[in-house]
Amino acid sequence: MIDVLFFGPVVERTGMRALKVEHRPGMTLMELRDELAAKFPSAFEIVCLFAVDGQHVRDLTMPLADRSEVTFMARFSGG
Amino acid sequence: MRDQVRIQEEDFSQDEEIAALKNSSRRIGGIATFLGCARDFSEGREVSRISFEAYGSMALSEMKNLRLDAIERFGLIDARIVHRIASVSAGDNIVFIAAGAEHRKAAFDACRYMIDELKMRVPIWKKEITPEGDAWVSFHP
Repeated sequence: MIDVLFFGPVVERTGMRALKVEHRPGMTLMELRDELAAKFPSAFEIVCLFAVDGQHVRDLTMPLADRSEVTFMARFSGG
Repeated sequence: MRDQVRIQEEDFSQDEEIAALKNSSRRIGGIATFLGCARDFSEGREVSRISFEAYGSMALSEMKNLRLDAIERFGLIDARIVHRIASVSAGDNIVFIAAGAEHRKAAFDACRYMIDELKMRVPIWKKEITPEGDAWVSFHP
């Protein structure tokens, strides 16, 4: 199972802060992104940053391990 | 002594942070600081309050990495970063960054680097509460 997290402006568009997705062997970050973008199209219009287990990830072909924590994020606006 | 890098709800004291930085080494000859505070006007609208949300564990980890990066890159002696995650009013403190170095150039450059990188790397989002409604803020360079 993969734990998916959303924060801030993305939550406003998904209506939820977290969800679980069944892990499939060989599943990539891009596949998960595409799957969720189909489910939450308006949220993924603003998603442009990705993290796996709390680390920035830029390569969407990255395979996901079972029990990963994956976060889809809008541009940051702290500071 | 409080941690050099913190995320907290409560306000911070610039004096205490600077004193802690100065006490870390007698080799420090210059300290540059950045204080980010809440404005009451943004994008042509009055702003009543600003609330912050963070991916807490990642934000703290990124801020710690950012401090270490700055120390290594600019040869700092020490640095501190504090960011509030709270609902704040105009004039309230939001973020404080201090860079301590032997000389001023490294301190200034590192301070600028840390706030610029924080905005790019640290997962924190701000929402402006206005009389016309609430709106998440997009990136401000």
